[in-house]
Amino acid sequence: MFWRLLRQSFLQGRRRKILSGLTVALAATLGMALATLSVGVGDKMAHEMRAYGANIRVVPKGESLSLAVGGLDLNPLKGRETLAESDVPLIKDIFWRNNIIGLAPFLDVPVALEGKGKARLIGTWFQRDMPMPDGDAFATGVRTVAAHWRVEGAWPVEGAEDQVLLGKRLARRLGLGVGADLTLQTPNGPYPVKVVGLVETGGDEESAIVGPLALAQTIAGLPGRVRTIEVSALTVPETELSLRARHNSDALTTAEYDVWYCTAYVSTIAHQIEEAVVNASARPIWQVAAGEGAVIGKMQVLMAVVTLAAFLSAAMGVSALMTATVLERAREIGLMKALGASLAEINAQFLAEAAAIGALGGLLGCGFGALLSQGISAMVFGQSVPVPWIAVPLVTIAAILVALAGAAYPARTIARLAPVEVLYGRK
Amino acid sequence: MAASDRSRWPMFARLLWRSLTVRAGRVGVALGALAVGAAVVSALLCLYLDIKVKMAEELRAYGANFVVGAPMGGSERGVDQADLQRAVAAVPGERLVGASPVLYGVVRLDQGNAVIAGVDFPGLRRVSPYWQVAGGWIGVSFDERNAMIGRKLAETMEIRLGDTLNVLGEATGERAHLTVKGIIDTGDAEDEQMFVALPLAQRLLGLPGRADFALLSVTVEGAEADALASSIDAAAPGVEARPIRKISESDGVILDKIDGLMAVVAAFILVMTTLCVNATLTAMVAERAPEIGLEKALGAGHRAIVAQFVGETVAIGIVGTLIGLGLGFGLAQILGQAVFGGWVDFRAAVIPVALAASLLTALAAAVVPVRRAVRIAPARVLRGE
Repeated sequence: MFWRLLRQSFLQGRRRKILSGLTVALAATLGMALATLSVGVGDKMAHEMRAYGANIRVVPKGESLSLAVGGLDLNPLKGRETLAESDVPLIKDIFWRNNIIGLAPFLDVPVALEGKGKARLIGTWFQRDMPMPDGDAFATGVRTVAAHWRVEGAWPVEGAEDQVLLGKRLARRLGLGVGADLTLQTPNGPYPVKVVGLVETGGDEESAIVGPLALAQTIAGLPGRVRTIEVSALTVPETELSLRARHNSDALTTAEYDVWYCTAYVSTIAHQIEEAVVNASARPIWQVAAGEGAVIGKMQVLMAVVTLAAFLSAAMGVSALMTATVLERAREIGLMKALGASLAEINAQFLAEAAAIGALGGLLGCGFGALLSQGISAMVFGQSVPVPWIAVPLVTIAAILVALAGAAYPARTIARLAPVEVLYGRK
Repeated sequence: MAASDRSRWPMFARLLWRSLTVRAGRVGVALGALAVGAAVVSALLCLYLDIKVKMAEELRAYGANFVVGAPMGGSERGVDQADLQRAVAAVPGERLVGASPVLYGVVRLDQGNAVIAGVDFPGLRRVSPYWQVAGGWIGVSFDERNAMIGRKLAETMEIRLGDTLNVLGEATGERAHLTVKGIIDTGDAEDEQMFVALPLAQRLLGLPGRADFALLSVTVEGAEADALASSIDAAAPGVEARPIRKISESDGVILDKIDGLMAVVAAFILVMTTLCVNATLTAMVAERAPEIGLEKALGAGHRAIVAQFVGETVAIGIVGTLIGLGLGFGLAQILGQAVFGGWVDFRAAVIPVALAASLLTALAAAVVPVRRAVRIAPARVLRGE
């Protein structure tokens, strides 16, 4: 009898049911799409945040203090340690290798300019296809790591040993422009180079010459050596655990250590780089790493709060709709009572109906929501976003509960009334 | 004509009034649905319109985005501290997050030479919120008994928190005895330097009233950085302000992304919420088909019936939206406090958008079912078919 009533009621007011189901589906779409986006927004923003450049710097262990003031080192090259250039690809072979999206080695050396004082030559990779242990090439270099550099003219061609970028400040001082020829005077002979571009960074590079790494190595007499490696890695914001690990990773329990090691904290990646590269000390550049954590944390909270608010409002809308559709059927309830149906039976029928609408609408909405979130992510970030499948049962259950909440109140109220009154249309 | 108009108006008003008051419970549900919809829409709009300002403030976690120093190509090192103060004063107060002059030099410690930086500590703390400090910050700008030192300097010279440093300015012969109050970790050049109050550094280095440059942290939305730099230049001759590209450029990129994301999300929520409200109202109007049948049977014209429903809907729509705007402003404050810990401005632009969205929603919900009901023969509607 119960099932027949339920089936009949579904077939009878079909348009009404479809309307309720669609509304539930809309609300579930909203919940699902926003939930997917708020889970994914951290990763996506982390990718965007790479605009700020490298967040880890690798230097030789036990390196002596520099006495650099205003970009000019007072004891250059004095007892300075170096790293092997051949070790650089090892950084792309750590546990979190896929989170390393760029790296660039640097070696700087003082040079004299013909009759124009001294300057610093910074040797680096501009854009190199770095051979990987697994056989692929990884395209990286300063153009990936320092995306904010503004170059007037052209970037030097990787492999050409005589093309350099001239810092804007230095260029102004020397009165040189794009296309100028420059001779670098060094203890082991003069090196003629061509200025192919002027670089503006807002940092020390503006009063230096940026050239190919091989040139700097030859001038410094350090073939195959580098001074620092800057690494740009995708990380997750720091937590209390990573703070403790940073302080003293020995004090962690084994379980905590595993969690820390298998999470892409900036300190974890730095730690793994130290494990991979002999004699290296990897430190987070906190300006980038901590700033990123703060902003991404904000974005996650923002999305979560917006999701919650939107879902609550959609839920109230669905509840209101369910209330309206039940009120509409007051006569039916009166008739059922007049025919001897018990309160429990009436309640059960309406609630089962609401639950069925909630479940169908919820599932439908989950599907649409997942699709829609992909669309939004492609639009804003130009990438797809992973769908958190755990959200499907959660959103569906929420949809059922919301539909039930909307139906329960009016069904009870009407069922309490005298059948005659309802049938007569007083209420 | 005039007479019939006069007799029609009281009837219309009475119908409207009775229909709104007799079915108070259901009108309440409609009002509630509209108000909640309008509240979410207006709260999100408020939040969206404020998001760039709010996130620009958050992005100051990245530290200084301007450096003010000697003009490019100048031969003299450093600038007058007074010139820097003029430059800082040229930045609108509500946008300046923090500023600190910096003077570099080399001093002798017991264990060897070190780079010293004279700074304004309270300003620097606001400029560099990302510094990881063990121990504590120095709270005042005139503290000449304490120093903060870089992690690497501390490791190399085996200095611990609370140790006393004997500092000698070699050029001047000035001495100072400083307690290490904090050890800083930035992963950058600061790790190898020691920080003291600016007046002390000026005395040790023999450069009274001088500084190398000033670091400024200013909230800037998008591409205004260059304009702000030139306005500082105009206000303070003798110094040059330059945006720190690494930060200012990237800030613009990130702000545009966040703005784009919020715009899409807000538009999406607006459409979804509107559809939900629309469905609710449609169901409520459709429920009243028998009433429409009765009115028709009593001789009401199509236009009179449609006018009555439209009037009713507009009345509910306006009241619901006004309640919703009030609720929405409150909701925006809750969201603002929860996310940014700050108040969200109420923008007048939100009112017409919310009002238009709600009224259109409500009217669309009323017109379709009413038109369908008036087309059907009264007898069939009344019989409940």
